[in-house]
Amino acid sequence: TISTVSGEKNPIVGKFGSFGGKFVGEVLISPLAELESEFNSVLLDHDFKMEVETALRDYVGRETPLYHAQKLTDHYKNINGEGPEIYIKREDLSHGGSYKMNNVVAQAILAKRMGRKSIITATNMLRKPSNVQLMELLGAQKVTKSIKQRKKVKVKPVEGSFQAAASESTREWISNLQTGYYLAGTAVGPHPIPTMVREFNSVIGKETRRQAMEKWGGSPDVLVACVGTGCNALGLFHEFVGDKNVRMIGVEGGGVGTNTGGDQLHSASLVRGEVGVYHGAMCYLLQDEQGQITKTQSIASGLEFPGVSPELSFLKDAGRIECYTVTDQEALDAYKRVCRLEGIVPALEASHAFAYLEKLCPKLPHGAKVVVNCSGTGYNDAATVLNS
Amino acid sequence: ATSITKPSSLTYPRSSFSQSSLTFNKVSTFRPKSLTVSCVMTQQPEAAAQSTVLRPDSLGRFGKFGGKYVPETLIQKKRKELDSILRDYVGRETPLYFAERLTEHYKRPNGEGPEIYLKREDLNHTGAHKINNAVAQALLAKKLGKERIIAETGAGQHGVATATVCARFGLKCIIYMGAQDMERQALNVFRMKLLGAEVLKNQICIVVSTVVLEDYTILVRAVHSGTATLKDATSEAIRDWVTNVETTHYILDVRLIGVEAAGFGLDSGKHAATLTKGEVGVLHGAMSYLLQDDDGQIIEPHSISAGLNTRWEIARRAGQIGWLMGRNKFMSPFANCLFSLVIIYKNAAFKRLSRLEGIIPALETSHALAYLEKLCPTLPDGTKVVLNCSGRGDKDVHTAIKHL
Repeated sequence: TISTVSGEKNPIVGKFGSFGGKFVGEVLISPLAELESEFNSVLLDHDFKMEVETALRDYVGRETPLYHAQKLTDHYKNINGEGPEIYIKREDLSHGGSYKMNNVVAQAILAKRMGRKSIITATNMLRKPSNVQLMELLGAQKVTKSIKQRKKVKVKPVEGSFQAAASESTREWISNLQTGYYLAGTAVGPHPIPTMVREFNSVIGKETRRQAMEKWGGSPDVLVACVGTGCNALGLFHEFVGDKNVRMIGVEGGGVGTNTGGDQLHSASLVRGEVGVYHGAMCYLLQDEQGQITKTQSIASGLEFPGVSPELSFLKDAGRIECYTVTDQEALDAYKRVCRLEGIVPALEASHAFAYLEKLCPKLPHGAKVVVNCSGTGYNDAATVLNS
Repeated sequence: ATSITKPSSLTYPRSSFSQSSLTFNKVSTFRPKSLTVSCVMTQQPEAAAQSTVLRPDSLGRFGKFGGKYVPETLIQKKRKELDSILRDYVGRETPLYFAERLTEHYKRPNGEGPEIYLKREDLNHTGAHKINNAVAQALLAKKLGKERIIAETGAGQHGVATATVCARFGLKCIIYMGAQDMERQALNVFRMKLLGAEVLKNQICIVVSTVVLEDYTILVRAVHSGTATLKDATSEAIRDWVTNVETTHYILDVRLIGVEAAGFGLDSGKHAATLTKGEVGVLHGAMSYLLQDDDGQIIEPHSISAGLNTRWEIARRAGQIGWLMGRNKFMSPFANCLFSLVIIYKNAAFKRLSRLEGIIPALETSHALAYLEKLCPTLPDGTKVVLNCSGRGDKDVHTAIKHL
């Protein structure tokens, strides 16, 4: 079934090994079940698929290119002129400037099918005040950015962190179960949310497979993506999970400190977290000795998330993916490097993936094909970079 | 005959808009001082005026417009390489998107109306159509063995697009930007810096020194001569090019044309409606419509969106449009309604597309979108309208919010 990871021994719907599940209050059990059944039925629905495909093509601008980054490739060549070939999956070219639109569009179409009139969601607005203006400018009617709003766009600021916003929007959903649709923007949540979000983002990996075949007649050797909650990484990785020869690397936010640990704040749930329940799912998360969720920090606000996708948590334990961290400074250096060498401005989140190339490439055999997910554009990160 | 009024006190004329008829009485020339190449003025063409095929003749003329007034017009064809870059780097082809809700908006009470399609140039790498031109010209420059690229920019979009391709192709790049524009578009200046630019604030920028740098660096020079806007920057750019023609390629910017910015109204004298209100002259190497006063001096255009602030048409496109205008085919339906339309509805158009389609258009694009309000009621049922969504409007949110 689609809700599990390929190769899993005794798959249980909604669980990835011991991760995942539905740790929610009673009141949400039935709406989640309805969502799950609706989701399963649209997966087999040709009309739904066509509608999503058309929207992805004409509205979002898919397929996104798999771009051979010649200058980055040259940068990583050793003295003998040997090194891997770097390819960039250009999710920065999507409408909205990131991969997030894939999931949002598909869920919006799903919501319409279910006859829902309003969309509710939560977003992290830290350090991105201009996004609030953008949200206010856009209506919520057709496709929404992941913000906490009703149909006529009311951006309600919530005191505190993203967790607070998520809780608040869940409350909003519960009081509007008939007409409201909770649009999950992250891969962390009770079943079926992790599966849904992954499935709707998996178009990234499917395109990559086809494009790789066209370009070099094979599969990628290494996939690299940044990990906040894990949706862009899963979007790229999922297609290749069964291909044992494809290495998968997730890169998390190491924050201000060093990559070896210490007391500094960071956002590395997979690398330094422990297992617990977060937002209704069993997953790796950052908590203190009392089991309280710790504060997270990263120069890339999209990576600041204490939990991480249950599916990625499972893949980490199974040894299928490798996870590393990269510091704020390394990410900033990567941002500037990619700008300068390729004229592409990666989001600070994606810059973490690019930063890891510094450690990865010297160890790769000559001609290895590396695909980096440029999950979004860093056009709006210019101010942050300027101030750093 | 229409005369252009000199800018006076800023009254906001709403109804006193006079019919603009196109005259060709005044032809004066404007030459940059240190131009070392000769300009060829075209003569009256013969049968070209009758032809409906818009191809230039061997001298690059469209009727009496266009022409080769600049030293270099080599065109090479490297289609395959260009196509690959347009596909994998720029992200072409861009979708032709059926705007269902915009179409609904323009349906008449009986349910009839045109169908609106948007050509999504906003989805290109760098968020506007400008990169298409920049990429092709960068390839051309490399083919010609040039190491240095110069370009001028108004809003900064062309500058960013040029800086982008120079980073990608490893070319030295110099971008000229007026000091006023640099202030208005500070974030774009920063972006050019991120792409390798070094901002040099020169008091006077006339002679270009060939600075040899370790890495490929892009220089953005503040032009303080004249009124410090695109017009001055462009003159500087030409001076640079002419001085360094051996090593340097000038990436020309093909400007947005078709719907012009009426600023404070066509009669106020404070507008940028070159094609509607201008007269024929030569600027920057091509005969085109200019805004001139009675002494043949260029009048400073005015508009809220910096990219439409100047109408200095260098490329053949200008000649083409001018030719069409001369044939009264193109702009006359615009002339009457452009004034109130653009002032009142541009910001509304910006907001409308955002709300109805979730696409935030550039303010420049919003001018074209505004015209739909006037156009659609006149179109028969089922007419297919394609509107060029030339750029995205993230850059304009701060400006637009103030006026909404």
